[in-house]
Amino acid sequence: MEEILRVEGLKKTFKLTRKQQKSEGTNLSVKIAVNDLSFTAYRGEIFGLLGPNGAGKTTTLRMLATLIKPDSGNAFIDGKSIVTDDEAVRRKIGFLTSELKLEEFFTPNYIYDFFSELYGVEKHAAQQRKCELFSKFGIDKFAEIKIANLSTGMKQKISLVISIVHDPDFIIFDEPTNGLDVLTAKVVTDFLLELKAAGKTIILSTHIFSLVEKLCDRVGVIIDGRLVALDSLENLTKEKNLEDTFFDLYSKTVAPEATKGGWL
Amino acid sequence: MKNILTLIKKEFSRFFKDRRMIITVLLPGVLIYALYSLMGTVFTKMSKPDETYVPTAIVVDLPAELAAPVNAMFKVSEEKLTEEEAQAKVAEESVDVAFVFIAAPQGKPEVRVFYNSISDKSSSAYVLATSLLAAYQNPAFVINASPDVKYDLAEDRDMATKMLSMLVPLLMFAMLASACMAVAPESIAGEKERGTMATMLITPVKRWQIALGKIISLTVFALLSGLSSFIGVILSLPKLMGGFVATDVLPYGVGDYFMLFGLIISIVLVIISAFSVLSALAKSVKEAGSLITPLMMVIVLLGVVSMFVSASPSLGLFAIPLVGSGLAISGIMALTATPLAVGLAIISNVAVAAALVVLLAFMFKSERIMFKK
Repeated sequence: MEEILRVEGLKKTFKLTRKQQKSEGTNLSVKIAVNDLSFTAYRGEIFGLLGPNGAGKTTTLRMLATLIKPDSGNAFIDGKSIVTDDEAVRRKIGFLTSELKLEEFFTPNYIYDFFSELYGVEKHAAQQRKCELFSKFGIDKFAEIKIANLSTGMKQKISLVISIVHDPDFIIFDEPTNGLDVLTAKVVTDFLLELKAAGKTIILSTHIFSLVEKLCDRVGVIIDGRLVALDSLENLTKEKNLEDTFFDLYSKTVAPEATKGGWL
Repeated sequence: MKNILTLIKKEFSRFFKDRRMIITVLLPGVLIYALYSLMGTVFTKMSKPDETYVPTAIVVDLPAELAAPVNAMFKVSEEKLTEEEAQAKVAEESVDVAFVFIAAPQGKPEVRVFYNSISDKSSSAYVLATSLLAAYQNPAFVINASPDVKYDLAEDRDMATKMLSMLVPLLMFAMLASACMAVAPESIAGEKERGTMATMLITPVKRWQIALGKIISLTVFALLSGLSSFIGVILSLPKLMGGFVATDVLPYGVGDYFMLFGLIISIVLVIISAFSVLSALAKSVKEAGSLITPLMMVIVLLGVVSMFVSASPSLGLFAIPLVGSGLAISGIMALTATPLAVGLAIISNVAVAAALVVLLAFMFKSERIMFKK
């Protein structure tokens, strides 16, 4: 198995304001979002980061996508460091998250061409790829309508297409099906499997067990910024189903009383 | 370079396809024209009283030898009144002026001229009355009596350049700053607020290219808006000055306009980069507006400064960004600017703008600034 992503001791802290300290019930002025995270992903697999809200999944993915820098540690995507070679990393990856928005003033057609140019995709190849992707996702009928006037599902599909205009080999998806209706969610999950079949590597984050079971080859369980389990889906679900395995891990990691009265 | 062009192309199509944006930018020019023309018309009416008007007067005990000249210049009331009654008439503005002659058995006779400074007509009647009396007192001289001779030796041209050298820097700074205000927050803080900036930051495009692409596009938009305001001012100037200055005597050559244009571009570069830096700091368009407003006031004040600096400022002053530009514009308008001084002003502006673009590129790199919620 060829290694494509190596994460080495990634750590990220955020300063808390007084107000945040109060709402989190802590005196600490620094919150450790990601704590000494290390794992490896291999070419052609779908790797899932599973964890509850606030566990540090999104922060991890944003570091991998070079939007934010780690306090310490490093990660290498296809041999390029996210810390020292961020531009090369950006060239290699596609990143999809609900935080990244498209300018709604423009049409899908225009915005596709714009990002193709920014990624330096050759014109002819870009047009061909646009045709394929637009017809696959049914965007072609709306290609000349301002994005602002399209449905939420259609906007999501356009965001997805835009994130891969440059046909990256390494794709990072933060909560890929969040906020999508069942039909659009199915289109997206099917597409992820298609990408995998085409030899792409996908890192996704989610808190939905069924999504992990359906898509992922290997899973990292992340709780409170730490990786508490890392194995193939097969091994993790050998004795119990994924949900039970996760709750076992959770009660082992977090103080037992929290599991009683908390969100469980 | 190709990336910068792509980015500029996007900003342009964002701008020129949006009717609302174009109106925001071009409307100030139309408004300035309408407002200044209106102001000018009102000023003209106020400052030019009816020349056929004959002031009214009341006379008490008018000496016979003065009857002819007073009657020639004033419409004299037939009423026979006392001094107090005459005063009351002037106070209530029913008469412009009242002459009260008091004979003195010894020494000189006294004449009291009552007027009411609330009324413009009364004020000018008073001036007329006193000069009439002065002439009567010493008839050896007739002052400025020939209508063909030009006694005020100020030339229209000097008048025009003097006025423009005081007015234009202030107008220019105010217009350019508000033009920049109209475009910068939307394009930078707006993209940040809507999350579209992050989408651009995830592409392999270099940060400084994004910064430069923004600044160049915004400069063009601000120039367009500034140009619209400038045309508005130029068209309304003749009316604003109430015919006092004829625009066809404006003595500027191609070189002057060339220098002016260079200055304007460099001023816009400075202001737009400064506003962009503040917009990048802000989390929303609204916050950007409140961050920029104080700076905008300072910039307009800098435009005022040039009105109070002596006629020939030292060369070093021109090297102060923006301040030097105000002086240079003032100098061009007064026909005293040298290319060296203008060049210094432009270079200082461009240097500051370049430093601000570098700063902006660093800010685009900072997750603290770009992603802080």
